[in-house]
Amino acid sequence: MKIAKALTLLLGAVLSSNAFGQFNFGPTAAGSGIDVSGTWHYGGHQDAAYGTAAGALVDYGGIPLNEAGRLSALAWTASRMTLRQQQCAGYGIPYAYFSPGNYRFWEERDPYTQKLIAIHMWFQTSETRRTIWMDGRSHPPAYAAHTFPGFSTGEWRGNVLTITTTHLKRAWLRGNGTPSSDEATVIERLIRHGDRLTVFTTTIDPVFLDEPYTKTMINLRNIKDPDAWLYACEDGEEILSRSEDTIPHYLFGKNPFLRDFADRNGMPLLAALGGGETLHPGFAAKLTDSAAAEKEAMAKIVPSGPQQNSRAVNPDPNDGEIHVLKVQGNVYMLVGDGGNIAVEVGDQGALLVDAGAGKLSDKVVEAVRKLSRNPIQFIVNTSFHPDHTGGNAKIGAAGEDPSLPGSFFGGQAPTGATGFFEDPAHHATLIGHNNVLVRMEAAKLPNEMIPPDTYLEKRRKKYHNGELVEIFYQPNAITDGDSIVQFRRSDVIATGDIFDTTRYPFLDVKNGGTIQGEIDALNNILEKTGYEHDEDGGTMIIPGHGRLSDEYDLSEYRDMVTIIRDRVKAMADSGATLDQVLAGRVTADYDTRYGATSGPWTTNAFVEAVYNSLKQAGASSTNRK
Amino acid sequence: MPPTMTKCKPTRLLLALALFMTLCMSANAQGRGGRGGPPQPPPTPKAAAPMDLTGYWVAVVVEDWRYRMLPPAKFVETPLLGARVDIPMNTEARKIALAWDPAKDEAAGEQCKAYGAPNIMRIPGRVHITWQDDQTLKLETDAGTQTRLLEFGAAKNPGGGWQGASTAAWEVAGGGRGGPVLSGSLKIVTSKLKPGYLQKNGIPYSANATLTEFFDRVDEQGGASYLVVTSTVDDPVYLTEPYLTSTHFKKEADASGWKPSPCSSR
Repeated sequence: MKIAKALTLLLGAVLSSNAFGQFNFGPTAAGSGIDVSGTWHYGGHQDAAYGTAAGALVDYGGIPLNEAGRLSALAWTASRMTLRQQQCAGYGIPYAYFSPGNYRFWEERDPYTQKLIAIHMWFQTSETRRTIWMDGRSHPPAYAAHTFPGFSTGEWRGNVLTITTTHLKRAWLRGNGTPSSDEATVIERLIRHGDRLTVFTTTIDPVFLDEPYTKTMINLRNIKDPDAWLYACEDGEEILSRSEDTIPHYLFGKNPFLRDFADRNGMPLLAALGGGETLHPGFAAKLTDSAAAEKEAMAKIVPSGPQQNSRAVNPDPNDGEIHVLKVQGNVYMLVGDGGNIAVEVGDQGALLVDAGAGKLSDKVVEAVRKLSRNPIQFIVNTSFHPDHTGGNAKIGAAGEDPSLPGSFFGGQAPTGATGFFEDPAHHATLIGHNNVLVRMEAAKLPNEMIPPDTYLEKRRKKYHNGELVEIFYQPNAITDGDSIVQFRRSDVIATGDIFDTTRYPFLDVKNGGTIQGEIDALNNILEKTGYEHDEDGGTMIIPGHGRLSDEYDLSEYRDMVTIIRDRVKAMADSGATLDQVLAGRVTADYDTRYGATSGPWTTNAFVEAVYNSLKQAGASSTNRK
Repeated sequence: MPPTMTKCKPTRLLLALALFMTLCMSANAQGRGGRGGPPQPPPTPKAAAPMDLTGYWVAVVVEDWRYRMLPPAKFVETPLLGARVDIPMNTEARKIALAWDPAKDEAAGEQCKAYGAPNIMRIPGRVHITWQDDQTLKLETDAGTQTRLLEFGAAKNPGGGWQGASTAAWEVAGGGRGGPVLSGSLKIVTSKLKPGYLQKNGIPYSANATLTEFFDRVDEQGGASYLVVTSTVDDPVYLTEPYLTSTHFKKEADASGWKPSPCSSR
């Protein structure tokens, strides 16, 4: 025992001599660098005025906003916060660090290897739960859903925890409407010095920023674990009797608070408008010519540059493959063949919403077979447009509707007049609004492409695969035959092109589409949605094109469409011609996200559709304010 | 006991582990001192640097932008009219700030009161960092043409000027057992300061103030490098609590942006 005791002491001495930074097990032995576990709060000596929901209006100095970002911020009014979907909106990264409350880090380790799997965060304000994956996993594909905290992976670079976050939602850089887009990537470096944690962030946002926005902030470790960790929020009725299509905003050049901050702080307006140049030491010298600075500022408060294209990543991989994304419940999203396809599976045959463009129909069928042991039974078309109906014939032929053999229809077949029902058991049933049938017949498309099972009024419903599936007609939105499909138990809505995360709404005015119908349809969808927590999750939305979304994403799209409608209407009401409206670049703050100067659906084509739609309806009756 | 298991006495385990550790230490020592050769002196701070801080760095003016990029408004007690409410000043400091008069500073030849060590890294401009010798980093600023000497070991600088006396030390991660230093910070403690301003609008710090800084270098994948400075000012005379700031600079390729300019009290 004496020998053992002596050896224990010797071993202890050896270990203790190496205890403080001398014993280099390397970064991979425990899988970590410094330990940031514990509770922290923002150490707000600097930038204290920029805390949550604070920040003066038109105070953008030191933020490298591009034209779209600046105009978006100038169009923002605090009254926007009265909208239901804004009241409980979460905080993005890095804005969440400005929360006035506390936040906590804790580690998740493999119980057997002690390897670090993830670092978790909980922000008290907005109750944001965040996971920083430390296990080397990849980021999700571009068509996956976004959230306020985004998707984060981390790695140790020396003693610095470096975190990369993608899949963020549109949020704020500053609590005065300064925007951060859903295309932003944020890199954080956490550097710990004792009980102080310096967070150095780089926000790369091709939509709203001229250049990467770098910023540091200090956070302090709490001595005692705070008691308060909750911040429940539930949206309510803040403005009674307000029309659903009223979105508070300022028209370009009409922000009534334009000069408040600049005047109060004795600075030229140009400085308050931000931009990449305001970050650089030489900027102050530029302000010495006050007349030139004022002239430049006035040019910056309205669209003044050339029209811009979207800088968003195309969520469709366009690699000739069909990509399957589990949404929730019984529902999946298929990406890759034109419009998105929703697939509902269960004990019965698969129900599809839309059939894609038809170029990859064999692969669509193959993908559905992997999801469902039963054949495709129903295909619901949200529109007659070919990117949603192109696969009707081939995918339909690969399915079968077992409700037909032996039924009334089975007994009627074959008939020469309805060749489609000659062998009804061996074709999925195509469903759509009657105007889809009318439009497709007018286009003389083959019978096997045309939905024979139609409805005329508000709603068609079907209990299928253990849940109620409801098909709602949305009159005169993209066309005069649009439907949305709601899976009640799965809590998923497929919207067709009424919601498209990749472009401005494809208003087909010649086939019955209207801007007001589009706005009404978006609001109708929002009547059916709910969020799980602070405008994240809950009802998931499969758009006609683009990434998986939720209520908040759709509400931002609704806001955009409504604001552009208002701008076009304001100009049209004052007698502007279409050319004058186009020259006014009424979409300038959204073009870097949705715009196109060429291709099948340009920004100008959209603005023209809005203009013509308003003219057709009579501009005075379109706004229900 | 199953036949495949062998009873292992704790004593044997400890003996083996201690032997292993001793061998490791021996090997490590040989690595440092050579096989039987004379012990080598420890590397100089310059040789032991876990990161390269030398070169030209330009301030990226983001933090406290409105108080740094443009002359801050004179301190007033009404917060809505431009007061700094986020510097933890005490009553005495408020009195001094309220009485601030840049003309008086100019008349007294004290235009550099806002260019002392506690605020110099917040002034928009560039810094140039070089090794003056193996023990001393020299940090020069073009704004105000100030020079800070960051001395490793005992400071030789008696202080008393705007930049006071600074002692520096590397705080490293890794590097044990002859392994590579993974990263580190430069810790700088500055005291013996000539009283000056924490900001151009006359918010004061005293001769008793102590500035503690950490310099960290961040290299982005793709090329850009940043210097992140985390600072704490402790001043028992004018502050009610430590004043915390963080500031960052971007590495520049050369001296083309270097534009020395004198101190300005406005």
